[in-house]
Amino acid sequence: MSQIQERGSTHVYKVNRISKEEMDSMVERCVYEQPPFCSAACPLKLDTRAMLKAAAEGDFKKALLLYEKIAPFPLILSQGCEAPCEKACRLCEVGDGVAVRAIEAAVARFGERSKLGGVFRTKKRKTTAIFGSGLFALFLAGELEKKAYPVTVFCEEPDLESFLHCETAFLDEEAFELEARRLQGKDIQFVFGCELSPDFFAEQRAAFDVVCASEAVAKRVYLDAVCIPELMFCEERQLVMGFGEGVMAAAFGAKKAALTVDRLAQKLDPRNTRGSEGAVESRLYTDLSEAETLSRVPLPAAGYTREQAAEEAKRCIQCHCEECLKSCAYLKHYKKHPGLLAKEIYNNTQIIMGDHQLNKPMNACSLCGQCTVVCPNGFDMARVCSGARRNMVSTDKMPLAPHEFALLDMLFSNEEAFLCRPQPGYERCKYVFFPGCQAAAIAPATVRAAYEDLCARLDGGVALMLGCCGAICDWAGRYEMYDKTKDFIDRELAKLGDPIVIAGCPTCKKELSEHESVQLTGIWDVLLELGLPEGAKKLERPVALHDSCGARGDEQVQGAVRTLCGELGCELVDTPYSGDRSPCCGYGGLTAYANREVAQEMTEKCLERSGEAYVSYCMACRDRFARQGRESHHVLELVYGTDAGAPPDISEKRYSRLTLKNDLLREIWQEETAEMKLDYELTYTDEARRMMDERMILTADVIAVLDGFRETGEAILDSDTGLLIARRRVGNATFWVAFTRGGDDGYVVHRAYSHRMQVVKREG
Amino acid sequence: MAAEKNYYTIDPQGKLQCVKCGVPLIKGKAKFMYLDNGFPVELPVCPQCGFVYVPEELALGKVLSVERALEDK
Repeated sequence: MSQIQERGSTHVYKVNRISKEEMDSMVERCVYEQPPFCSAACPLKLDTRAMLKAAAEGDFKKALLLYEKIAPFPLILSQGCEAPCEKACRLCEVGDGVAVRAIEAAVARFGERSKLGGVFRTKKRKTTAIFGSGLFALFLAGELEKKAYPVTVFCEEPDLESFLHCETAFLDEEAFELEARRLQGKDIQFVFGCELSPDFFAEQRAAFDVVCASEAVAKRVYLDAVCIPELMFCEERQLVMGFGEGVMAAAFGAKKAALTVDRLAQKLDPRNTRGSEGAVESRLYTDLSEAETLSRVPLPAAGYTREQAAEEAKRCIQCHCEECLKSCAYLKHYKKHPGLLAKEIYNNTQIIMGDHQLNKPMNACSLCGQCTVVCPNGFDMARVCSGARRNMVSTDKMPLAPHEFALLDMLFSNEEAFLCRPQPGYERCKYVFFPGCQAAAIAPATVRAAYEDLCARLDGGVALMLGCCGAICDWAGRYEMYDKTKDFIDRELAKLGDPIVIAGCPTCKKELSEHESVQLTGIWDVLLELGLPEGAKKLERPVALHDSCGARGDEQVQGAVRTLCGELGCELVDTPYSGDRSPCCGYGGLTAYANREVAQEMTEKCLERSGEAYVSYCMACRDRFARQGRESHHVLELVYGTDAGAPPDISEKRYSRLTLKNDLLREIWQEETAEMKLDYELTYTDEARRMMDERMILTADVIAVLDGFRETGEAILDSDTGLLIARRRVGNATFWVAFTRGGDDGYVVHRAYSHRMQVVKREG
Repeated sequence: MAAEKNYYTIDPQGKLQCVKCGVPLIKGKAKFMYLDNGFPVELPVCPQCGFVYVPEELALGKVLSVERALEDK
């Protein structure tokens, strides 16, 4: 029996199969973290989406807190801002953009101010001074106060009101009052009535660490003052200064200037580490189909009331790209957008010492490629996860446990249950039928009927190859095993004279297309050409056609199966997740082995689409839907009028493959086969059967244990239960079977379990 | 001398018997090994043939969780 070497714990340093650069370029495709268009357009980087959400929920306190992050004087900004966010709003494409500015004004007016001011914050040691008045000076004072710098404003105006009034004539009386109160509440020192002459300036500046001035004052004291607009800084005169006109220019200028002050106070070059400033382009994708109310709430002359503002804010569709999360059960399970998950999974592969906490998510992806189709940028989680799996295998960090059962199953398909024979009477064949391992396991009678039909109706000889295409080891990231399987299949095909492969499974077709010089077709194409055989079971009622993930991107296969179903008389129910957007049933990528919970959610997701019976063209899909209790047919079962019946358990799947092989060898090729018979009787309780299927324990494992018991007599008797318990190490696991003797020479199996750890007696 | 560390202890309390040797299993020293790690434990052991019994609850409980933790190291 085949074995797979378990990994050791030594550190293996090998080249990654997928590089960091490659991974970064893949991660880049996910636009989930891109800013919404309104925020991207705002030079001040207001988190507009969050503010509108808070306002829509009636939480004006939170909305104001968010707005105040970028606006020390929210009423001034909201009444004077040019609102580039409104023009960028995606709703403009289908109706009115959200009236952000009017909502901001209402938030500024009605929002309750948070009591957590900066009063108790420790002030910084470095002192700052602002010479002049106007919006830039006002905003900068607010920004510096927010950054906890002691700030002194020298202005010509005689009092606070006059200072505030400068350049804010557009404010209504109430707003002016409110902002005056806000200004009074800030920890800013004012020196009113100053004559801002060059001499006064020269006299005062020495007392401060960083000095700022409005544009007018800067040009008065230094005739040659030249501002670098990106920094709001005159380098020659070491003066932070204003530049530009308008409310937005002043607010944005003050923000940049405050950062420059910060850098200068720390004696750093103000050019360095500034991060992204100003408006940016956003690559976010927005699904506008969710927009409901397309017209703005009418804006009264006095501005929105609290309720009107909340109503208008509700129109915001909260631009988020969650296209993949909507359709993929795997991403939904881990509640992470794929860009982030991909980054974490890649980092997981780079851990040398420590826990690989992302092994489970990495192995839970079905590698089905649905995300790539539904993502507006073609994000490819399958590539990320399969690359990561290969990296883990190459560095010997991949645990064997999640995939071992499937890998051994593949070896079983390609060794014990493997069959490759030309049609009797032919040495070399024109065709070879390759039904796929799952078809032989789940619907052996269908495979036989299909083979006999192909032999009867095709000229040139049809060979048969029962085995696995290599998808299992490909999915597991076991690339060396995959190469071996590929060579093995190529050698077997060569023995048959390199015939045209008639694939019975779209995944096999996809895998075999990786082989150079293999000519391929699908049984669905052959059947369309030959016409339906006699006995085809027509289903004259609506059925939901489930497209196989193996056929993703292959319109020809999807179309051919649809035509075939049409000829069978089926009325097909298509849904938005048909065709290329079809989700995986949970078998793909070995999810069903590595993470049953996620696989189950994937199956449920597939069945959500329709209440009708399901027709599929992949045997694994057929099996998983039937297990879920849904009426489920493989299209070949309809074509050949065969019914595979209730879904088999893991042992029956092996038994079916072996029996099919032996039956065909005896009956078609007249070869003798070894009899598969035990020399003692073995029965299982229902509970034991259920337990074994759930715990992935095969009857072959149970037989190995009992054979061992018969040879050695080693077992224990539990006097509480009366059960005999024997064990045997098979491959990388120890299997335990609890049984009683039954009949003359037989056993009844009551329980079975296994563990991977080895246990030995210790001396001492 | 400090007491020897055991990660897990089960006393069969005379309820288990070795079928081959016909003697009751006793609490004995055993060791679990996985991926180059070893854990000393005390399990029901046959004093004559050395058969070490791993009960189902232990295999599917503690042993499984330690296996998983080691696999992800």
